[in-house]
Amino acid sequence: MQLARARAGLVLALSAVVLAVCADASADEGDAPAAPAEPAAPPPEATPTAPEGPPTAEGVAPHGSNVTARASAEVGAYMDSTATSVLTPSVAGTVENPTAGWGISGRYLVDVVSAASPDIVSTASPNWKEVRHAGNLGFRYKPGNYGVSASASTSYTPDYLSLSGGAQLTQELDEKNLTLIEGYGFGHDTIGRTGTPFSVFSRTLDYHSIQLGASRVVNTGLVIGFFGDAVLERGDQSKPYRYVPVFAPDIAARIPAGASATTIANSRLQARPLEQLPLDRNRFAITGRLAWRGDSTTLRFDERGYTDSWGQRASTTDARYFIDASRRFTIWPHARFHVQNGADFWKRAYSSTGVHDLPALRTGDRELGPLFTFGGGGGMRIALGGVGALDDLVWTTTLDGFYTAFSDAIYVTKRYSALLTTGMEVTF
Amino acid sequence: MTKLLLFTLAALSLTACTHVRPWERGKLAHPTMVGPNLPGPAEEHVYAVHEGAVGGTASAESGCGCN
Repeated sequence: MQLARARAGLVLALSAVVLAVCADASADEGDAPAAPAEPAAPPPEATPTAPEGPPTAEGVAPHGSNVTARASAEVGAYMDSTATSVLTPSVAGTVENPTAGWGISGRYLVDVVSAASPDIVSTASPNWKEVRHAGNLGFRYKPGNYGVSASASTSYTPDYLSLSGGAQLTQELDEKNLTLIEGYGFGHDTIGRTGTPFSVFSRTLDYHSIQLGASRVVNTGLVIGFFGDAVLERGDQSKPYRYVPVFAPDIAARIPAGASATTIANSRLQARPLEQLPLDRNRFAITGRLAWRGDSTTLRFDERGYTDSWGQRASTTDARYFIDASRRFTIWPHARFHVQNGADFWKRAYSSTGVHDLPALRTGDRELGPLFTFGGGGGMRIALGGVGALDDLVWTTTLDGFYTAFSDAIYVTKRYSALLTTGMEVTF
Repeated sequence: MTKLLLFTLAALSLTACTHVRPWERGKLAHPTMVGPNLPGPAEEHVYAVHEGAVGGTASAESGCGCN
């Protein structure tokens, strides 16, 4: 309930701020001379391009050409206090013609994951290592006020194959001051076990996603947007490796948060069932987004409210404040806060009287329990291109740290993690 | 009723604003204003694993409005 009130308050505050800004803008307009019947011609010295740096994907192509090609590479390194590390190199490319309105893009990445978390150690399993390959291709075409985009993605590990695709329609109204989007996506995942062919053992998970949104230019430096997401998941997404300890009823009530693997091993029943999640899940999110540009700073602020049919509710707040230290050097602090309750069937310790009395729904996934995460850090962007084309070569680096508190989980009650990314982008 | 009020306020906020001409979009087209997905792929993956929520990746910034 407190979560819902907090979320409603944030949305209310965001709406009130926007209304106030719009009211100020309208008052300014009221003081101005009456607008001509036809749109006024732009001042000769003004152009619709960015005055404070070379244009980007949405800007005018440099070097007198309408076609722009960009290539980028990024490496991300993640580590946390539960002995999990991930190395994520990726490459991406884009070819586009902003004035004609078309573009194609692609990305390929690899996740190299190594884990030895308490959940794994408690099952006497060896350290777990996995390599995930993922890629996507996208296309967009928006010759005028209407546009369409489409994308296809895939992700593969020896025990998980994901295929998805989607399309989005864009409509610009009010001389591009109001943008509406509608999107649909479909995904099909195959979940198996490493070393066992999908034909021998596999489960499938299908999901449909719908997106609706609107973005409004409030004034020359402020854009706001509201976006809604609905994701309908159908299938058994239980992890085939995740065993859930169960306890006699009187013992279960006395298992403390953060109980060690030894305590759990000495207290649990002999039966150790696999995770079992509900076979469908309907997920809904609404996001408010604000982007404000001052003379040499930019504020980006997102607030997401989330709810689903498993009883989870969550609020996520993300903010970045970009500061242009010079034409070549931009730095920004970043903060993110996420809080959620547990799913309806979440229990720190499941109780059972024996193998014939196992709880129908059970999980050991801490991300389905109550938690909050606070993250902070920042980044820097250095434009290394030549004079007149500063952004033709850009180096970007970010570093963020996160603290997560699990208030109702065994093994782990807190987690410290850090993510370092660094990447280069070249424009041709 | 509360949800209806919030929705109405949100809808009003989308329609009660000033009109920005194409040649007034310099700030809107700045690189820090138009990035559709500010987090990179590694950062997005961390959030997907850390948080039991989805959504919020859509965007529709108006940018430079140059076509």
